[in-house]
Amino acid sequence: TCSVAIFLGSGGHTSEALKLASALDFSRYSPRTYIVSEGDTLSAQKAHALEHIKAAEDDHFIRPQYTLSTVPRARRVHQSLFSTPPNAVKSLLACVYLVSICPLVKKGAFRQPFADLLIINGPGTCAILCAAILLNRLIGLPSPRVIYVESFARVKSLSLSGKLLYHFADRFVVQWPDLVQPGGREDYRGCLV
Amino acid sequence: MEGNVILLLLIYWRPPKVIPSRASLKNHPMLVFVTVGSTRFDALVKAAISESVLSTLRDFGYNHLILQRGNSVIESEEFNGESCTIQRHGVDIETWRFKSSIQEECEQADLVISHAGSGTILDVLRLGKPLIVVPNPTLLDNHQEELASALHTLGHLKATSIQDLASTISSFEPRDLVPFPPFDGSKFSKLVDEEMGFI
Repeated sequence: TCSVAIFLGSGGHTSEALKLASALDFSRYSPRTYIVSEGDTLSAQKAHALEHIKAAEDDHFIRPQYTLSTVPRARRVHQSLFSTPPNAVKSLLACVYLVSICPLVKKGAFRQPFADLLIINGPGTCAILCAAILLNRLIGLPSPRVIYVESFARVKSLSLSGKLLYHFADRFVVQWPDLVQPGGREDYRGCLV
Repeated sequence: MEGNVILLLLIYWRPPKVIPSRASLKNHPMLVFVTVGSTRFDALVKAAISESVLSTLRDFGYNHLILQRGNSVIESEEFNGESCTIQRHGVDIETWRFKSSIQEECEQADLVISHAGSGTILDVLRLGKPLIVVPNPTLLDNHQEELASALHTLGHLKATSIQDLASTISSFEPRDLVPFPPFDGSKFSKLVDEEMGFI
């Protein structure tokens, strides 16, 4: 099995991320961690709903293996980019705690990353999560593979998170053909959600 | 000469086709569901309860409107409190802020008018419901515009603006829309299995 973390960025990002998660074989990709932004109860509810649907589909009802983690938002919707940095720092500290500190102090999980795989699709806070993962990589701590899936809403140009994480993600996935650059590293397979 | 003209008329003349109104095609009052998603879209909310849009909706047989308004503000005094039901310009309007799922409203609606959020668009298109979207220009990069245009070009929905909403409703022909393909999880599943070495 492979442990997976899925970042739920609220609004359309959450819907898409959960759709992507629903495509996975939950017996293979287990346990799952859903990372939500502080105060985003809607995303948390939707994650619980998906887990229950998936468990119900399974013939032998195994108790769903998942947890929810919360991190402060790096940037609120409509917030100006200029005023974002202080929020981003607070968010980074929480992500470092989640990504670096928690796995280190967890019993029986020596040198295990907080997840084998991280699936992200924006918005800004997931870039902070990746910054924490980058720190892990720089200091030699175990870190997850990162798959970034650009939103289905991005047709002609990448989102800000997409631009920031283009080179960082182990796999960079787009859902519209115009986003594939000649010689680029975009993985295009049509609409995934 | 006149005889030939009469003969031609008899052969080629057809009585004008009577196109039934949308309301008479259905034997129940039609419901339009307006949704702005999880953020704020004051302009769409205002347009949805404006006289021009409501009277157009009423003319086309929609006399029940459900408005999910999120964090949007309604300046009118008639609407007070978190949720309420009023009648305006011949349309019964029910409004509230959020629900954990708008699936039921989308399923019951005969027409959905929505912000151009990708999640809502996909959910509604997969339910096979006629959809008119209005991109929210206040979001970062005005990114909703791209998706709305692309799907409009592909014929899956009608994209419009606040100003043109009423005219789009009146010229809307749901039968001309192209159905959207169903969800195929195997594409992503395969991608992840490849990345994690299962394939």
